[in-house]
Parts: sequence; C-alpha cells; structure tokens
Amino acid sequence: MAGVCTDEEREKVVDFLNGKSSVKSKFYFQDFLPLFPDKKPREVKKVLSALIDGGVLEYWSSGSTTMYGLKGAGKQSAAEGES
Amino acid sequence: MAKFKTPLLDELETGPWPSFVADIKQESAHRDANPDNLDYQIPADTLDDLLGQLELSYKEKETHWKHGGIVGVFGYGGGVIGRYSDQPEMFPGIAAFHTMRVAQPAGKYYDTKFLRKLCDIWDLRGSGLTNMHGSTGDIVLLGTQTPQLEEIFWELTHDLNNDLGGSGSNLRTPAACLGQSRCEYACYNTQDMCYNLTEEYQDELHRPAFPYKFKFKFDGCPNGCVCSMARSDFAVIGTWKDDIKIDQEKVKAYVGGEFKPNAGSHAGRDWGPFDIQKEVVERCPSQCMKWDGNALTIDNANCVRCMHCIDTMPRALRIGDERGATILVGAKAPVVDGAQLGSVLVPFISTEEPYDEIKELINKIWDWWMEEGKNRERLGETMKRLSFQKLLDATEVPAQPCQVKHPRTNPFIFFKEDEVPGGWKRDLAAYRQRHQR
Amino acid sequence: MAFISTGYDPKKPMEGRITDIGPHKYSQYFPPVIAKNFGKWQYHEILEPGVIMHVAESGDKIYTVRVGGSRTMSITHIREICDIADKYCDGFVRWTTRNNIEFMCSDEETMKKLRDDLNSREFAGGSKKFPVGGTGACVCNMIHTQGWVHCHTPATDASGPVKAVMDVVFKEFSEMNMPAPVRLALACCINMCGAVHCSDIGLVGIHRKPPMIDHEWADQLCEIPLAVAACPTAAVRPTKVEYDGQKVNSIAIKDDRCMYCGNCYTMCPALPIADGETDGIAIMIGGKVANRITWPAFSKVVVAYIPNEPPRWPTLTKTVKHIIEVYAANARKYERVGDWANRIGWEDFFRLTGLEFSEHLIDDFRESAYYSWRQTTQFKF
Repeated sequence: MAGVCTDEEREKVVDFLNGKSSVKSKFYFQDFLPLFPDKKPREVKKVLSALIDGGVLEYWSSGSTTMYGLKGAGKQSAAEGES
Repeated sequence: MAKFKTPLLDELETGPWPSFVADIKQESAHRDANPDNLDYQIPADTLDDLLGQLELSYKEKETHWKHGGIVGVFGYGGGVIGRYSDQPEMFPGIAAFHTMRVAQPAGKYYDTKFLRKLCDIWDLRGSGLTNMHGSTGDIVLLGTQTPQLEEIFWELTHDLNNDLGGSGSNLRTPAACLGQSRCEYACYNTQDMCYNLTEEYQDELHRPAFPYKFKFKFDGCPNGCVCSMARSDFAVIGTWKDDIKIDQEKVKAYVGGEFKPNAGSHAGRDWGPFDIQKEVVERCPSQCMKWDGNALTIDNANCVRCMHCIDTMPRALRIGDERGATILVGAKAPVVDGAQLGSVLVPFISTEEPYDEIKELINKIWDWWMEEGKNRERLGETMKRLSFQKLLDATEVPAQPCQVKHPRTNPFIFFKEDEVPGGWKRDLAAYRQRHQR
Repeated sequence: MAFISTGYDPKKPMEGRITDIGPHKYSQYFPPVIAKNFGKWQYHEILEPGVIMHVAESGDKIYTVRVGGSRTMSITHIREICDIADKYCDGFVRWTTRNNIEFMCSDEETMKKLRDDLNSREFAGGSKKFPVGGTGACVCNMIHTQGWVHCHTPATDASGPVKAVMDVVFKEFSEMNMPAPVRLALACCINMCGAVHCSDIGLVGIHRKPPMIDHEWADQLCEIPLAVAACPTAAVRPTKVEYDGQKVNSIAIKDDRCMYCGNCYTMCPALPIADGETDGIAIMIGGKVANRITWPAFSKVVVAYIPNEPPRWPTLTKTVKHIIEVYAANARKYERVGDWANRIGWEDFFRLTGLEFSEHLIDDFRESAYYSWRQTTQFKF
C-alpha cells in the first residue's frame, strides 16, 4: 500500500505547506488536488501517503475528518504534552 | 477502596438494567486487586479517575473531555480518537485517555479465545473498559495513552492477526447483519461481501483521502437489521426478482392457529386469533395478495418485497430464488444539511463472489466523489448539490422510474448540449430573416 | 511502572510492521451448527422472550438466548461472558447491532440452564448482568453514543440516560407486549455519531447556546482558520479584539447562525460549548429503517427540550415511558410508532399523548422545512 512520490512532488507539497504556514498548518486532502492538476485524486493520495510514511507529513484528525500537515507543525500537534 | 465518592453515579447501580457504573467499579476493583500481578502500563487507578470525573460531570452537567488530534498508529490516518481530560491535575489517571477502534469480524461472532486474548492486551495496556461495540460496528477500546498505541497495534497485528478500524475521512469499518449464518431471510452472503470488500479496500480504510467519512453496510433483506439505508453512504440490501415461495399447507397451519404468527413475536399480549385477511392481505403495501379461505395467491409482478407477509408467516412463505441486492446511496445523519436516507441507485445487482460488479460501482462513485466532493461533504450531500443525474453519469447507471418517488414537479430541465439538435450554437441571421428586431 | 515493549522500535517504525490485514474472517467463529447449516436455515420461532429457535433444512436446531448488554463494558464482564460461553456454548458468542449479546447452543436442555444462569447473575447493587429479552415486539436495547464518559461535545450523558430509560421500560424489554418492535436510540449531541434519526424513539442531546470565546487563549491554543473552516454554517469568523489592553487575534461567532454542533470546539479548545444548566435532550419519534409495510422514515421532534436531570433523568424517562404506553394502548398490531402517528394524524398524536405542540416543533431548517408544512384543508379540529 506504500505510496510513491518523487523529489519534485515532495517539494511541491512542502512548499505549499510552508507557504501557508503563517495562516494554518493543516489541510484537507482536497486542498492538495490543485497542486497536481494532471493527477487523479487517487494518484495524489499516493504522493501524500508516501510523505506520511517518510515522516514528512502527519495526519491530524477531528475524529470525523482528517487533515494533513507538516510533521510537528502547528499549535495543536497530535499528542498534547504526553511523554 | 474507591478513590472518589460517587453518590450520583451510585444511584445508577440499582434498577434491573445492567449498570455500567457497577461494571466500571468492578473493573476498578479488579485493577486495585491486580490478581494477575500485571505491571499495568497505564495508571492502575485510571478507572477511579474516570468515575471521579464522571461524577463531576453528573454534578455540573458538563463534559470534562477535550479532543486531541492524534489519529492512529504510524502510517494510518484513522483508528484512534484522542481524548484529554480538562481536569488532569484532579484526575491524572485519565489525563490522556484515547480510544482505539478494532476491526470486528462481520456478523460479530467470536470465540472466547480471541476475546480473552483481546482482554489480556487491554488489561495490561489500557483501562480495561470497552464498547461492545461502537456505533459503526468496531470493537472500541476505551482509554489508553499515546505510548501504548503502537504497542497495542503491534500485539493486535502480530499476536491476534487483527487490524484497527477506521475513523476520520476514510472508509469506516464496514458492518453486516448476520446474514445467512442464522437467518432464513438473507438474500446473499452479507458477511462475505462485507469481509471481501473490507479486505479489498484496506488502503481506503486506513489512509484517509475522501472529502469525509464513507460507510458501507450490508443488509441481507429489506428488514434492514443493520440499518444500512439510514446509516451508510453505500447500502447493499438483499432482494429477489422471482416469486415468493408458498407452502399452502403451512399457510393453513397459520390460519388454523397451529403456528404462531410472526414467529411468536407478539406472544406477550392477547391479540386474538390470527386473521390472515386483516393481518397480512390487507397490510400488503402493493395489495398483491389474495386469500380465498383455502389458498394464498401472490401477484408477484406487483410485489414490492416489503417482507411483511414473510415476516408474519416465515414457515409458509420464503424469499425467491433469483437473488441479488439493491444499492441505495447517500444516507447520513442530519448534520449538516439535514438527514438523508439512502436513495435507490441500482435496483438489482449481482451478489456473487468476487463482487466485481459492486466493486466497479464503488470505484466509480469514489472517483466522482473524490473529484467533486467538497471538504466535509458526505456523498448524499454531493448528490444533492450536483444532482442525481451527475451520479448516474459518473456510474453509468441508466435512469429508471424506481429511482424516484415521482418525476420532477418543475420543468427546469437541464438538457445536455448534445441532446438538443444543433447544440447551443444558433443561427441568429436565419432567425432575423423570420423575425424583425 | 516499567514500560513493557512488544519489540516495536519507534526509530524504525516500519521494521517488522504488519498493516492492512483487516478483521478476522467471519466464518472462523461460527459454532459448528451454524457452520454446517450456513445458508440453509428454514425458519425461526421465538419460544419465549429472549429465546429464539432457528431450524435448518437438515432438521438441525440452534437455540439463541439474547441478553441486553450495556455497550460500555469492562473486560471483567467480557471474561465472564467468555466463561458462560465456554460452559454452555462451546466457546462461541456473538453481539448484535443493538448491543445485545447472543449465546447459542444446540439443545433445549442446555438452553434452559443457560437462560436461567444468565437471568440469575447480578452486579453489586442488584442490576442484572444479563437480562434475557429483546426479541419480537418489544422495546429493544438502545443504541447510543459516548456522552460524558468519553466525548468532548456531548450535550448530555449517554450511558446514564440509557440506563435510566431501560430501567423504566424493563418490562417492555423482557416481554413482547408491544404492537411492533420499538427501537430506542440516544445520541449525545446533534452530530449523532450514533445515528438516531430513523428510530421509533430517538433521544438527542442538544446544546442551546453558541460557544463562549476565550479571547485570552484563542490565538495561543488554536489555529483560528481551522476553527473557522470547521463551522458547517459559516457562523465562525476570525477577528481582532481588545483583550487586556492589547489587540489580539481571536474569533467572532454569529450567534443566530450557530446550530450548536460543537465542531469548532473540536478544532479549538478556546471555544467551549457545554452549558450545564441549559443543555438537555430533545425527543424524536416515528422513524424506522425496515421496509416492512411502509417506507423507511425519519424521526420527528415531538419534545423540543428536556433538561438534564442526572443521575436518573426523571422527566425524560417519564415522557418516554408515557409515549410508549399511549402507543401500546392505541396502535394496531404490526404498526410501528411512526405508522401509528401517521394513521391517526399528528393532531391526535399530540391530543392522545398530551404532549405540548409548540413552534419549536415546526421545521425551519433549510428547504426540507417546506415539505413538512401542511398543504391541504384536510386536518382534524
């Protein structure tokens, strides 16, 4: 199930997130689709999954929905002050 | 010895219905006693603190939980729900108290070996409190801390050969009724379809990339015991196309009072003798039955398969043999645009293994919804916003009367350009030859 | 406490990792009679409340004893279930969609011993551990959500009101004296993670005040755009406010757009929504999911608000019990709560139950509202 991701694709995603970091740190899956206009959503998912497995991105969940962000970024990280 | 006094909760220990308070207290006492001499991996008094916080909620009538964004184990985007107490100093044992969803076998049959092993894991590494089961169908392990999540996942996968369930914007853990395992009404093997599709779509279940949650549920017949029509984006409900099978001798046995109607379900009250005319024939929604005092006839072409006659006389009437399923899509709870029940998309689809036709349909729906769905929009809402026709286009399912209650009541029809001869390009000059300005 | 490692190495998370295996295959947990007669069941009969006999084409029989379960359940309790299953059921047991537990055995003698054993077990305090019932035309076990036990946005508890309601309808659970099955459900807030919108009687926790805004902490605890994006009605917007003599980034909420869902609190703990004195429960009735006789239907709100009265919610339990009693006395055989209300008309529903009809019960939410108003001169005075 591992995703696939080129260096160029990784850069695109990381640049996008860094560019928005002053506004917010977490984005819905749909927000990444415009970065890859030639890719189907399922192919974009492969890119993001690869970045998750590579430790570049992490998921954040509201329980009902899930968002993607750069690992460790933002005010509400996944685990709050637990050892 | 209980850590906190819980006078309000204690009042829920009396009365006949199983008391969750008594049960939590029993588990708390078990942890205090620690008969197996475990090195508990989360505080031994975690349930004392849970009862203490719950008592506080009963006093103040407000919750004391906060949400945490933690999602799952490494590489998974679901399966764990983060919870933190908003009174961690008062209740340190539940400062962090996360939920893990564990995938349940379809139909929820277990052996005690599996259950005991699961209990052992949760005894050592969690609070010892569960939900059997959560609303969607998972086994829910209620209350552990972040460092234990990977350890529990490791033991689940390595020792128990079992995976986590779903949460967040992904395929949620599918659920099925018990189907053919113990029900004579089941029109297809609900458990197998549920299992097969769950395995097929593991990536969709663990790695969220949908606009919002997506649920499959599998009901064996239109009685709908697993509530697929109300609770799943994609409901597979068993049905049949040919004739209800009638055993006339047994119909007479019902009429004669030898068999109890509806399998004895009304035995707690005297409803008088069974009246087949009133209780079955006249209740038939499509009025397709006749009883002449000797034989029951069904005009099967007019039967809408509501199950009432079969439910009422299960020994005399049986589902037909040409079986499959109806697909209804788009059900959801009211948030945010109002509740929706599933709408008929495909009236009859094959339910034969390996379920290729159904998978093909699911893939088309997902491709469309992933492309067109807005953030946090369930399939039903996307359908409402973009139209049923768009879903028909995406799934290549033909339009048919059984998909609507009635045809549209307005003439605002959006024809496609290629449906209208000549398309949208029109000859103004020719028009002007016929009409002055 | 010493950390006991399974062998998982956080530095090498992929090493030895097993993923994407799903649940166990359903068939490995079938009792032998179930496995043998799979797909070959002929009919069933409810022998007595809570006891069902299924008969296969082969002539084999399986006896199921159904007991109500509290879905919030300890492992000590599960281990006791295992002991019972080992003693009577060859080590097999199952759960139903509605939190019931089903013990199965293949002979009648064992079934009787099993049933009596189950009925005899009690928790400290006297509640039954395994009440036999929940079959046929009864008030079924409730499905419900987490409530104050484990949820962050509930407007009421779940396990507590469920226990209180089931205590007052215990007779109706244990006997089969209803006109049709009565399915109860409780969701502790309007998000309904346990969907109750198609229940005969659905209880829904409701908040009635928009969230408070903790200006001091909003910008420190939250990413404000995430809270804004979480709002389903676009009632939340970013703003700057004076706090403690300083301009700070914070949040503004348009009160009359707020539907009190708590989604913004999920994203931002500086927007607490719970309010002990004004939160409570609405009662919805007349929904169903089965296609039997009539079409599946949504539940309709018949009581807009009942305050939270822990620990036993007396107003709530009295009202639910009353609705059930009036229904049971007036409905026809096989008629579900909603079918009964539709047949007699809502004028008579409110007259017979004595429930007050108020403007809160008239739908005003988006376009579906119009379809619930009455467009005919046919009505009852």
